[in-house]
Amino acid sequence: MSESLPPKSVLALEARTPLTPGIALAVLLHVVVFGAALVLPRLFDRAPPLRKPIIAHMVALGKPRDPHLLPRKELAPPAAAASPMTVPVPSSKPSPAPRKREPTRQELMQRALARATGRAEPREEPDPERAGSAKGTPEGTAATAEEGDAYFTAVHDAILENYVVPSVISERERLYLSASVLAWIGPGGQILKHEFQKKSGNAFFDQALELAIQRTKLPPPPAEIAKSLRDTGVVLNFKP
Amino acid sequence: MIFLLALLLAAERPVIDLSGGRVQAYPLAMARPLGVQDAGVAVQSVLSQDFERSGLFKLLDPASFLARPTEGLTNIDYTKWQAVGAQGLIKISCDAPGAEVKCDMRLYDVAHGVELLHGTYNAPRAAMRQIAHRFGDDVVRYFTHEPAIFQTRIAYVRETEQGKQIVVADQDGANVQPLTGASINLLPAWTPDGRTIAFTSFRDGLGAHIYAVDAGTRQVRPLVLMGDFATGAVYAPDGLRFLFSASLDDNTDIYLSQADGSAGRRLTDSRGIDISASWSPDGKRIAFVSERAGSPQIYTMAADGSDVRRLTFQGNYNQEPAWSPKGDLIAFSGRDEHRIFDLYTVAVEGGKVTRLTQNQGTNEKPSWAPNGRYLLFSSTRGGKRQLWETQPDGSNQRAVTSERMGASDPAWGPLPASK
Repeated sequence: MSESLPPKSVLALEARTPLTPGIALAVLLHVVVFGAALVLPRLFDRAPPLRKPIIAHMVALGKPRDPHLLPRKELAPPAAAASPMTVPVPSSKPSPAPRKREPTRQELMQRALARATGRAEPREEPDPERAGSAKGTPEGTAATAEEGDAYFTAVHDAILENYVVPSVISERERLYLSASVLAWIGPGGQILKHEFQKKSGNAFFDQALELAIQRTKLPPPPAEIAKSLRDTGVVLNFKP
Repeated sequence: MIFLLALLLAAERPVIDLSGGRVQAYPLAMARPLGVQDAGVAVQSVLSQDFERSGLFKLLDPASFLARPTEGLTNIDYTKWQAVGAQGLIKISCDAPGAEVKCDMRLYDVAHGVELLHGTYNAPRAAMRQIAHRFGDDVVRYFTHEPAIFQTRIAYVRETEQGKQIVVADQDGANVQPLTGASINLLPAWTPDGRTIAFTSFRDGLGAHIYAVDAGTRQVRPLVLMGDFATGAVYAPDGLRFLFSASLDDNTDIYLSQADGSAGRRLTDSRGIDISASWSPDGKRIAFVSERAGSPQIYTMAADGSDVRRLTFQGNYNQEPAWSPKGDLIAFSGRDEHRIFDLYTVAVEGGKVTRLTQNQGTNEKPSWAPNGRYLLFSSTRGGKRQLWETQPDGSNQRAVTSERMGASDPAWGPLPASK
């Protein structure tokens, strides 16, 4: 005769069950929550897949040139000083202003590229026929913008206007410099405070960024992002 | 969860990328010198010229200064210097006891109100310019972390009524000292230690040969008397060997010799002329001009003469290569379609040719500063051929010499030995 075992109570069963599965389940749930928090925003805001870049070679204004000839100078010849001791004296008779010629579309595109690489004068007239916004930037590529994007474009342009890299920083060092500044913007457009998230390691570069931020006057932000800019701020990533 | 919250907050923060800031010269104020005025003003004048030539600094107009002219070397009111746009400030205080000048020279960071450099510099009154050059070098080195060239010297050929003589001068053209008489002397080349200059001369009446002159004693000795045409000596970076061109058997080729002129051996043997050798900074390759393809073009080869590669394909007369101390560029002069010689650089990797001079007379004979930041060259702009300097992108071109009958064949000397 087999002796039937007394029924085990639920409590007894629980008492003998090790705690590990419960802890594992809790850890798993946390991992899922953390993973979702990290992955889901990227799923909805994912960068487009990498494509082979298309490099546009724009045609310069000029005449066709035999490729076997030596090149012409890329920029206008620099004004040569008469002697190292000479102090330039302004002419008493100002020369008549040259007749203004409307720049071609190619010239405007070249200027925009030159500005993007820091080789051009900071202020140039934009192409009046170009699609975009009155609040846009010459470097921009979109024809329309949400109000918030337009404001960040204005912030970009205003800081860039004051962004000067000291020439005493060697070209070799410029290749590697970068810095991040977190700035909080008040409702009137004033920069309430700023702090370096990452310094460049070059005191003169960091000082130039400080100066650029101090000298920048921003327009008031639109109402829908004003609170965020005041409380959360905006990250400014600088490279020479 | 706090970590998660921080992550989410950071994710919401907009990011703006900024690049392409304008590269501008560093605004520098030079306060009125303190102490003995004639010495202070003279030193400051040389220092100002050095800084302006460097292209690194923008010297502010003293007329705009707000600080008291008598403001000392300490207790500086930095707000007054900030107000005129200065980021750096230089102060000089000189004393001139007897025949010596002694200057206390300081560099300050105006924005942070701190002293960056401080030194006392002495020199005989006749060599007062050296005080400025030494402090200038210290300032440039402080900012750029690269060697500075204000204390370097240059050699060149000075035209005289009697002929052409080799002279040496400070890098700014001052303090000219002749090293040779005035027969026909050409193409000076420094040894890496700066003590000797090799040059090509017709002094023996038997053709062109290579001699060496001691820059200190001016003693001249023959180096290469091979055939009736040996020219264009250029020392290897180790100073133990030199290259030159010589004509034997109706062909001009490049030869390599020991520093004393012995054991010369031919490196090239093409049918065309091979001439104008220039060492790469590591001494492993040689740039030269060859006519082997029908017109003078720039080539490179290994230091033993092997692995010859053509570098220029544009233009039909490219000559006088000079390999940059940084190794990435070779400067040369080329004749354009208007039959005018101008300066160019060609990238050693890729062969991209960039023009440095244009519509400013004939420009030839590039010679690099030992830190690679400047090029010295001869130019006929303004009439007589004189020496000019430029930055490697063709900017900031300035006259260096003002010789009455002209100057040519520049050779920038080495950096002074570190003390």
